[in-house]
Amino acid sequence: MSVSAASVVARANPPALGPESAVVWPKRTVTTLSNGLQVVLVESRNFPRISAQLYFRSGNALVSDTAPGLAEITATVVRSGTVSRPSRRIEEDLRRMGAGLGTSSGADFSAISSAGLAEFSSGILELMADLARHASFPSEEFERERRQRLEELKIERTTPGFLATERLRGVLFGAHPYAVVAPREEQLAAITRDQLVAFYHSHYVPADSLLIVVGDFTAAEMLAQIGEIFGTWKAPKAEPPASPAPPHQRGRRVHLVHRPGTVQTQVVLGNLSITRRDSDWFPLVLANSILGGAFHSRLVLNIREQKGYTYSPGSGVNPLRQRGYFTVRAAVRNDVVAATLTEMFYEMDRMRSVPVTEEELSSAQSYLTGVFSLGVATQDGLLGQLATVYLDQLPEGYLETYRERIRALDARDVQAAARRHFDSANAQIVVVGDRDQIGEQAALFGPVTEYDAKGNEVV
Amino acid sequence: MTAPAKQHLHIPVEHTTLSNGLRVVASPDRSAPFVTVGVYYQIGFRLEPHGRSGFAHLFEHMMFQGSENAGKMEHIRLINSSGGMLNGTTNYDITNYFESVPSNALERVLWLEADRMRALKVDDENLRNQRDVVKEEVRVNVMNQPYGGFPWLDLPPVAFRNWPNAHNFYGDFADLDAATLADVQKFFHTYYAPNNAVLLMLGDFEPAEAFRLAKKYFEDIPPQPKLPHADVSEPLQTEERHGEVEEKLGPLPAIAIGYTMPPRETPDWYVAGIVDRVLHGGRAGRVYRKLVLDEQIAVDIDGGADLLETNGPTQMVTRIYHKPEFTSEGTVTIFDEVIEELQQKGIGLEELDPVKVKFRSDYYSMLESGGYPMPRFGLMHLLACFTLFDGDPHRVNKILAGFLGVTPEQVQAFAKKYLVPQNRAIVVRHPLALAGAR
Repeated sequence: MSVSAASVVARANPPALGPESAVVWPKRTVTTLSNGLQVVLVESRNFPRISAQLYFRSGNALVSDTAPGLAEITATVVRSGTVSRPSRRIEEDLRRMGAGLGTSSGADFSAISSAGLAEFSSGILELMADLARHASFPSEEFERERRQRLEELKIERTTPGFLATERLRGVLFGAHPYAVVAPREEQLAAITRDQLVAFYHSHYVPADSLLIVVGDFTAAEMLAQIGEIFGTWKAPKAEPPASPAPPHQRGRRVHLVHRPGTVQTQVVLGNLSITRRDSDWFPLVLANSILGGAFHSRLVLNIREQKGYTYSPGSGVNPLRQRGYFTVRAAVRNDVVAATLTEMFYEMDRMRSVPVTEEELSSAQSYLTGVFSLGVATQDGLLGQLATVYLDQLPEGYLETYRERIRALDARDVQAAARRHFDSANAQIVVVGDRDQIGEQAALFGPVTEYDAKGNEVV
Repeated sequence: MTAPAKQHLHIPVEHTTLSNGLRVVASPDRSAPFVTVGVYYQIGFRLEPHGRSGFAHLFEHMMFQGSENAGKMEHIRLINSSGGMLNGTTNYDITNYFESVPSNALERVLWLEADRMRALKVDDENLRNQRDVVKEEVRVNVMNQPYGGFPWLDLPPVAFRNWPNAHNFYGDFADLDAATLADVQKFFHTYYAPNNAVLLMLGDFEPAEAFRLAKKYFEDIPPQPKLPHADVSEPLQTEERHGEVEEKLGPLPAIAIGYTMPPRETPDWYVAGIVDRVLHGGRAGRVYRKLVLDEQIAVDIDGGADLLETNGPTQMVTRIYHKPEFTSEGTVTIFDEVIEELQQKGIGLEELDPVKVKFRSDYYSMLESGGYPMPRFGLMHLLACFTLFDGDPHRVNKILAGFLGVTPEQVQAFAKKYLVPQNRAIVVRHPLALAGAR
């Protein structure tokens, strides 16, 4: 096929954008009860539902040196019974209110979330408070959940994405608690019910916790209701211990997780990075968006749309509360592992050494601010944005000023952020795949340490 | 609480049909300055050509590879740089393309969607590239994942006999390799026509203006005068069907049990929606309670039926991941006790009423976003299905009543009629890791 002059002339141009509408973030009611529980309320009245999330700023990082996975199994069992409601009753109460329930724990938090019909909002909040205050941790439920979690752990150990993240986090964070993403089977087996109860009593407390509710209510009435349900809750807060510093990596190294016979290799490389509270956060987000944080990014154009190595490549900035880390990842066919790593480093280095074009810059600015603002238009999006701001204790006005802060950046800011945070010379490389098929390719990028799928180093 | 409970939610819906047969549906909502736009074509992987398994999905990728006035990556660049996100998916009976953008980009999105409905412009290089991308997609989602493709790729060949319902929807690699540019153009001309599609616009716009823009960009796209008719019916099933699949990665045996559901919009179809929630509605659902909580045979179960978004033979599927110390046969026997109890004892209102409350709540949640991070994604999806399959987008405001009107007697009768061995297929994934121990 040839591109004729006629077809070029005939090409129509896309319509120009109309005038931009202002994005108005909804009014928030933010207050702290006398027991220390911070409450954030947003009315969102299109659908007759509410979504509520109760966060405690204590997660797996607190216990990763003593009892890895304790926060997570505590969160799992917390829904399995209270002093007044057996497990079955909890599930029936939820259904009666048209509600779902989720309990979870990450590195930095534990959470109880529920969403259901607005006409049952007080019942939903009462159930959440019951779980937060009066969970009974029945022994048989604990044993059942632990067995389930053990089986899940075994499944995770067959999942390439999990193995890659586990190895990278371990390498980047070393003795720091963020190194641990999941317990070993024997560690989970050693956890006792008493440890769950102790963690619950120390960390499921109102001081320094956060309740976000979005949905179909009036804020004043909701606040009064929350005062009645949560106001009498009193418990002291334990001070978290200081964490050891993560290691200072010099030079690229390869960490190969050997899985015999696999048909594809999971590649992820990365380095330590910053949190949302760092002054480099906005330029880093913008630089990441141009590198590999959007469909229309350099990495996707290169290794997917030009070379066809992979389906879902990308780069990401992963801000945890104390530290963050930066990653570039792709699942690729086995014969292009070296080619993929070459292109990943090429794209990182290009961001570091050559300014991005004005077109790329303004495209990425529009993309980021547009997609960020989309959060205003769904209940889940709004909850996510509010959780980011209030859980991370970001400055009031973070949502409102995001757009102007991204817009204010130029190509030099992007390059400077790339030079500081895309540390290609010292990046740690994880490949999860068959040693016999990818070992030689991987060794071209640095000294190789091999691990098995259980997470043990192979000597 | 003094705020009135909104028992009867009403979604504004306006629709028209252009002279070329393109149906256009608008649902305005001015509460935030965004629009979600979708174009749904009534072609899914059921109807891909014989010898071209996986083609409908490969073709969906080609729709991002360039059209007459927007070359490769231009669709993506123009949406992203307008501040929006986009995607496309291939399903049994539909393939959809959708974008959420700030409302000032509505006209640009319509221009882009019209451009690729009018004329796809792709070459062999694009096809080779996307074939490679799709193979990596299959590897990442199926071949290199524990329980990859379970059971959506396992059940159809066991449950069904008619090729459209029974083949590998993601595609055999040999079939993907065999696909040519001529296949791509033929598929495009056969199915990607305005009279085989619906355009949906949701969010922040004036409906009259949105309809004017739709007409401006889409109405001169020529229709396909002769849309092919395909027979996706299944011969009557008279026996229970079984299949076995090797699980190469995951450590637990997994069982999928699929019952074929009654046709869309029949009275039994509404009962199916409720029975599904009785059995699978979270931890209060009967199957989870029995297998995970009471008997503790299973580590996890889930299940469901794609009733609203399919227009041909479809199954209600239960997935069970069970502990290796139990046999799969024994696990099915305990599952059968759940079914027999429903058949013999039926259901009381004290259980059925809460199931319906949750059903209503979940329906609202689906309309709101449907779990996808795009405003009104679920509403868009339902409006498209109601328009293409039932000819009436206003069903979005009526359909709930059909499900909420289901009686205990209907539930029990349904269980006796449909939840029977000669209406089901069972597939077991046997872990390779356990092969030595068996």
